[in-house]
Amino acid sequence: MFLRLRNLTKVFAGRGGEAEVVAADNVNIDIEEGEFLTLLGPSGCGKTTTLRLIAGFEFPTQGEIVLDGKRINDLPPNKRDMSMVFQSYAIFPHLSVFENIAYGLKIKQLSRDKIKQQVAEVLRLTELTGLENRAPNQLSGGQQQRVALARALVMEPKVLLLDEPLSNLDAKLRDQMRTEIRRIQQTLGITSVYVTHDQIEAMTLSDRIVVMNKGRVEQTGGPADIYRHPASAFVADFIGHTNFVPGTVVESRNGRLNVEALGQTLSVLKPEHELQPGDVAQLVVRPEMVQIEGEYRHYTGVVRRASFLGDRIEYDVEIDGERIAAIEYDPRRMTIHPEGSAISIGFLEDHIYVLPRDA
Amino acid sequence: MAELPLEYTAADRPVPAWRTSLRRRYREFKLIGQDPILSMGLFLVGIFVFLFVFFPLLRVIWQGFFDPTTGAFSLKYFAQYVDPYYQAYHFQVLRDTITMGVMTAAGGTILGFIFAYTMVRCAVPYPRLLHYLTLLPTISPPFAIAIASILLFGRSGLITKDLLGIRFSPGVNDIYGLDGLVFVQIITYFSVAYLIIRGMLERLDPAMEEAALSLGASKFHIFHTVTLPLLIPGLAGAFLLLFVEALADLGNPLLISGNTSVLSAEIYLAINGQYDQQKGAALSLVLLIPTLTVFLLQRYWVSRRSYVSVTGKPTGGQLTVKEPYIRWSFITFTTLTLILILSLYTSILLGSFTRLWGIDYTPDLSHYGKALGRGLNAVLSTTFLSVIATPIAGLIGMVIAFLVVRKAFSGKEALDFTSNLGGAVPGTILGIGYIIAFIKAPTFVVGLLYALLAGYLVSRTVSNNRRRILIVATGTLIGYGLSRLPGVIFIDSFWRYLLALGTLVLAGAMFPFVPPARRRGAILALVIMAGGLIVYNLSPLLTEPLATWGRAMSNRTLSRLTIKTASAIRVFTQPTMTILGYTYLVAALFVVTRARERARAWIVTALLALCAALVFQGKPLALVGTPYIVIAAYAVRSTSATVRAGIAALQQIDPAIEEASTSLGADTQQTFRNITLPLILPAFIAGLIFAFARHMTSLSAIIFLTTAEWPILTVWILSEVEQGGMSTAAAYSMILIFIVLAAIGLMYAFVGQAFGAREGIDLTLGGG
Repeated sequence: MFLRLRNLTKVFAGRGGEAEVVAADNVNIDIEEGEFLTLLGPSGCGKTTTLRLIAGFEFPTQGEIVLDGKRINDLPPNKRDMSMVFQSYAIFPHLSVFENIAYGLKIKQLSRDKIKQQVAEVLRLTELTGLENRAPNQLSGGQQQRVALARALVMEPKVLLLDEPLSNLDAKLRDQMRTEIRRIQQTLGITSVYVTHDQIEAMTLSDRIVVMNKGRVEQTGGPADIYRHPASAFVADFIGHTNFVPGTVVESRNGRLNVEALGQTLSVLKPEHELQPGDVAQLVVRPEMVQIEGEYRHYTGVVRRASFLGDRIEYDVEIDGERIAAIEYDPRRMTIHPEGSAISIGFLEDHIYVLPRDA
Repeated sequence: MAELPLEYTAADRPVPAWRTSLRRRYREFKLIGQDPILSMGLFLVGIFVFLFVFFPLLRVIWQGFFDPTTGAFSLKYFAQYVDPYYQAYHFQVLRDTITMGVMTAAGGTILGFIFAYTMVRCAVPYPRLLHYLTLLPTISPPFAIAIASILLFGRSGLITKDLLGIRFSPGVNDIYGLDGLVFVQIITYFSVAYLIIRGMLERLDPAMEEAALSLGASKFHIFHTVTLPLLIPGLAGAFLLLFVEALADLGNPLLISGNTSVLSAEIYLAINGQYDQQKGAALSLVLLIPTLTVFLLQRYWVSRRSYVSVTGKPTGGQLTVKEPYIRWSFITFTTLTLILILSLYTSILLGSFTRLWGIDYTPDLSHYGKALGRGLNAVLSTTFLSVIATPIAGLIGMVIAFLVVRKAFSGKEALDFTSNLGGAVPGTILGIGYIIAFIKAPTFVVGLLYALLAGYLVSRTVSNNRRRILIVATGTLIGYGLSRLPGVIFIDSFWRYLLALGTLVLAGAMFPFVPPARRRGAILALVIMAGGLIVYNLSPLLTEPLATWGRAMSNRTLSRLTIKTASAIRVFTQPTMTILGYTYLVAALFVVTRARERARAWIVTALLALCAALVFQGKPLALVGTPYIVIAAYAVRSTSATVRAGIAALQQIDPAIEEASTSLGADTQQTFRNITLPLILPAFIAGLIFAFARHMTSLSAIIFLTTAEWPILTVWILSEVEQGGMSTAAAYSMILIFIVLAAIGLMYAFVGQAFGAREGIDLTLGGG
């Protein structure tokens, strides 16, 4: 394993009588060489602290960080062979674009020619050629972002760290930079750790996602895996939209689970969790897995809300006092069921995931 | 790669809280320790603050309880507060002191508020000019206003005697006394309040007042329900600061308090009139209690109640008062007050050109002749020592600010606090502390500091605790022995040649044990160290003929200049051996870390011997009478200002910018040099200007430390006034003000050039 975080814990001492804060709680993550890994979670979940622990700006209270077989816990950030892209870009305001990018190379005491050549290369890669002599305040937000990225990339670090680099850009630019970052990362094959609270960024960029909550790792996995098989209600709720439907396990047989929910028995695929007949469970039903007037007709419900959004129609349907969100994407059926009308509803049983009640 | 255990069992075991806390502290220091420059900075700053703030204050407090001759414990002077014979007088002094403080603080805060409100809210014409005129008292000697008041309103005052025709006889109230003192103090210190309140007013978001306005509140209602409550922390802060300043001031009370007396003057008289250290110390303690209480209140209570963000920039738009009668009453009042202040300063200017104020108003240049003749030494000495102290205060301030803003370690709060304390405690107390602490060698402290530095040196260079102790013990013993040699067998200069020779021999012996790449630095450092000792010995070859030559000159001015140059050279070339020794201990770290591991033990031992010999030679740190103690006192008095300037500047810089530099491979030192320093330079220079102005104008701490060879201008002005030479005092004051203004102009010009006048510098550091 290239970079591994072992039982990493960071406790911030409380100041002036405040309680101490456990920002990272026993975090274990293994990162492979060349991998793009994202730490995803709501604000205050410990993702930035974890990144700063890797970078060396914070030192762990417990646990260790191993890079390429060497324990780097006590190394200061400048000795770690990693470089970081900051949320605020942190471009040196008194230096030109060229000087900003060449900064780390000068510290490394490379020759002038070598510096020029490497900076030119990274300028080309980040499409900044021609802006070398600009002062930072003459750059647009997107260009500043590129300079920050170029400055980190030119160091050819073993690990590239990115702390919510796109959060200060407007939506359109963010889309563009997202693709750009992925392209550059793929071109260079550089191991990257990316922090964001934006699930779309995480989904589109990452090889693997680590979902964090309250300082702990909730789940680690590929984007599709995390979406389809969330390890906890938190993950299911945080990524995408979810209906949580309460149910009771009736029977476990042939890799399937019969669960009674809202008065009907559904046969769903058996999850990774150990569930015994009689256990109370919750079904994770994504809105797009709910069929309206289709081949599956488990329930009859009343439409409480219907919104037409162009490419799709969103419904809230009430069954037995439970509200179920459903999305219809089918372009062939663009009739809208009015609010108050009774419709049939079915769950795509093969795409429903079951979690224990307290997960 | 060795496989790591998956789970730690140790982590599951509960660890006692004190152990994790201790471990954390140890780790914090270890982190700083990884950066040798930073840790050295922390070390030197820590030593400076300990030696020149904490230790003297401790000695003053201690001395209040002990008889200096017998050393016996006695509460003699505290007992006088309950002794009916002395009680009345002591309580009168105490009452007058507190009355003076409270009235000055109240009057100054109100005046400061009116000025700030006029400047910020009343769309006053010529705002910049008025702003700078308001700041005039902050750069003039502290008792300039007292002199001016005497010239205008005194018994022979231009206004009182010549314009109003008042004849002063017993029973007629004159400027002297508590009322005059409060008037003078208010004019002297209100600009500090003005700066604080102005800053708060500017940062007040107009949206809040506009919100109240849109909710239907009247202007007056808004003022006392929104504006005023938001300003309360600023007003309270200004009040408390002025209270402390007024209590601490010595110049004005000495000149103008007449028959009333305040504590600071009592302390001065106890030391310089009655030569009673214990009394001075005991009274200092009495003065220290209200000062410290207010200082703590200001720092921990008022500052936490601020609703206005301290780092926020002034918001764009400012509300202006629309009602003409309110606006014009503020403007008129401010203008009238400024006219009064201007006329006070003009009277100093005129006074310096008048033959005999009050009697004979013929223009006369003789006072300047006197001031630049007999007084030239004082002018030169004060300027020279102030200049030397300026970069010291600047560097210490920056290091402290950097540590406070950017680093986390235990004791940070204490460092910040103590450095601030040096500027906040009454100068008289600090001055007495210096006399008591440094009149004789403070052996314990000298030894303690040596032990700390030596301990740090071995801990960074040698492994194994037993070896470390052995090395320190051996080196120190040899060194101590060497330090006792002069006076026994050698004359001093021969002893220094011997040490220099030893250092050079060490350089030669080290040669093979240093990797070639690092050889130059190490050898050069040792040669410079030896050179320092040789220069010390050779310096009289230059300075003595220079002084003799100067004395023989017929032109008095040139003669004085030459003699002073000779002493100035001596300040650099012949420093106190102890200070040199400490400096060499720091340099030793640089030398040793360049050598190979196996040779380090004997190199460290030899260097320790050299440093110990220097540190313990003669009477270590018996600094009273040397110019160094004046420099230290200056630096201590202004460090709090440079710290504040540095903190304000650093807080403007996004920490991520420095982290980015670190992340790109730069160490703390490179980051500071390449990134932080260029960004904070304007503020740093402003801090330097302020420090220099403060040095030039300080009196209370220095008055006890000045010597015949290094006379201080402010002290001379005071004694001129006491002898009735008002016009000569005025001439000195004008010269002093001119020097400070020239320095400000010079620095402006320099910064303007360096930054293309991109960033404005303002002198608002005086407040807050």
